[in-house]
Amino acid sequence: MVDSLARSFGDVHAVRDITFTAPAGAVTALIGPNGSGKTTLMLMLASLLRPDAGSIRVAGSDPVASPAAVRAVLGWMPDALGSWDSLTVRSALTTTGRLYRMNRADAAERASVLLDLVGLNDLASQPTRVLSRGQKQKLSLARSLIHDPQVLLLDEPASGLDPLARADLQVLVRRLAAEGKTILVSSHVLAELDEMADTAVYVDAGVTASAERIAESKTSQRLWRIRATDAAALDRALTKIGISIETRVTDRGETSVPVSGEADAAALLAKLVKAGVAVSSFAPAVGDLEHTFLDLNRPTERPDASTGTSTKGGVR
Amino acid sequence: MSQFLDGVGVIFSLEMRQRLRGVAWYVLLGVFFGILLLITVVTSIVVFSSSAIDAPQHVGGPLYSLVIYFVLLLGVLVAPAMSGNAINGDRDAGTLATTQVTLITTWQLVLGKFLAAWVTALGFLAVSAPFLVYSAVVGGTSPTTILISLLVLILELGVVAAIGVGLSGLITRPLFSVVVTYLAVAALTLGTLIAFVLGGLALQTKTVMYDYDTVNQKSGTCTGLHQFTEPVPRFDLDWGVLAPNPFVVISDAVPATYDKYGSASDLFGTFKWAERSAQQSPFRANTPAAACRQALQNDSDTYTGPDAARVIATTTPSWAVGIAIQRVLAVAALLGAWARTRTPARRLAKGSRIA
Repeated sequence: MVDSLARSFGDVHAVRDITFTAPAGAVTALIGPNGSGKTTLMLMLASLLRPDAGSIRVAGSDPVASPAAVRAVLGWMPDALGSWDSLTVRSALTTTGRLYRMNRADAAERASVLLDLVGLNDLASQPTRVLSRGQKQKLSLARSLIHDPQVLLLDEPASGLDPLARADLQVLVRRLAAEGKTILVSSHVLAELDEMADTAVYVDAGVTASAERIAESKTSQRLWRIRATDAAALDRALTKIGISIETRVTDRGETSVPVSGEADAAALLAKLVKAGVAVSSFAPAVGDLEHTFLDLNRPTERPDASTGTSTKGGVR
Repeated sequence: MSQFLDGVGVIFSLEMRQRLRGVAWYVLLGVFFGILLLITVVTSIVVFSSSAIDAPQHVGGPLYSLVIYFVLLLGVLVAPAMSGNAINGDRDAGTLATTQVTLITTWQLVLGKFLAAWVTALGFLAVSAPFLVYSAVVGGTSPTTILISLLVLILELGVVAAIGVGLSGLITRPLFSVVVTYLAVAALTLGTLIAFVLGGLALQTKTVMYDYDTVNQKSGTCTGLHQFTEPVPRFDLDWGVLAPNPFVVISDAVPATYDKYGSASDLFGTFKWAERSAQQSPFRANTPAAACRQALQNDSDTYTGPDAARVIATTTPSWAVGIAIQRVLAVAALLGAWARTRTPARRLAKGSRIA
């Protein structure tokens, strides 16, 4: 889908060398620190910005050579929350439909379907300027879906959404992927991408992280959180297994232990169970994506339990 | 083609709905209505209470042209504010990019916005309709005058709208583009006038002039000839710079009507006469015989008047050239906006985000 893409603004090389493919029927996460070129990449994919070098194929079409073909199959939810102030929510959607060359009746029908889908039915006849941030976000999502696009670009779709709406968004995104659509999502909330994405593209300073480095980070040491009904028993068992007390961190009744990769973790759990420790929770301290992200950004530092938001995924 | 127009139509209706739901627009129209009401009432009172003038034609003609000039003036003053942020305002609001990722082409976007800005400006004409009808009926304004003045007025408002929309595409900051639109309009209206005056004065040439001490009306002769050399401004050389002035265009385009003395019967004719007089060479009266004729005429009790009819009939109309120049400016502005707004964008203005 994207091959050695580059784009600079004057002296600022926003995107230097990005290469990746987002498969159809899957959710691809786009991960990178602030200013790493994610939005610039999205703009190029959305046929709004011309790359300096490299090539893009969106559903087989080149956004530079044939933007109309790309636009017809692509839905873009921007990170900026712009809406036509004085239009109602419903007419904002039907107007977008009309901009996609739908006739009045089709656009109106599609708008109704999407209002239902994103849960903005109650606000349908309100002007868009009264919407809250989260509601605007929903409107933006509905707008990007108006022409039932094959490819979906979601730039920070969950920001401003309440937990319930986030969960709804996840379900919706998964469902769209199951329908065979290609979805590229960027977000800072990595925990959320963890639950949504099938694959991930890591971008830093405008360059995609190589597969080797990602593989490397999978086996690098990371912290796993263990909670046991009897903390003292867990402590004794860990010492017995041979994990020195210096490397362990105990916080709020949970003990964090460094392990190298999934296999190592599984082996540790087996040993603990064998030792008769009643383990109630055993999970990575940070999600997969977050671990990789942090690892790629801080290659020299050890992942630390205090970095990033703690995530409780996995088996419990 | 119809698909293209469909797209223009969608943008147009989107723009209109965005504009017409704003309060500012209605406030402006209300203020405009009030000003016109005041002008019409005051002018009517002055004229109808004046016993010297018996025929209503004497007020109706000037009144109609006065209203037209006012619509043009206010349209020219307000249209930049209404159109000067059409494109970059959307970019600031974050709605431009979401429009551009749809199947709308850049031309559809630019033209739709231009038409909306134009129609918005025409709202002022619509509000002035009662006054135009009143003054046209009272003054017995000829259908030709009405038709041509309205057509030119509509065209002039379109030129301002096109310049505004064009500059809003060319310039990143809405405030800056509105100001530049005002400057462009000021250049067309005041700028051409200033250039005309300064140009004429700068080009002045020294000329030998003749004058007489006394004139004898009975024999039609002059005595006491003396000559002197004086620099005269050469407005006959630079009158062309006035051509693209919207007020000159409208005055020049409307066929002048005259009273029985050969004077213009409305403001269109008066301005036209003033503007056309500039074309006349200052050397017309610099033979001793011509100077005597002039002196006799000036001294005479029966003032024959400026004879606007004669001046207008013997000089060159400039409105077609003026409209052509304006059209070039308008098209250039829209083309520029199209080039800058085209996607995928090659370059972005410093410090601007596309989305």
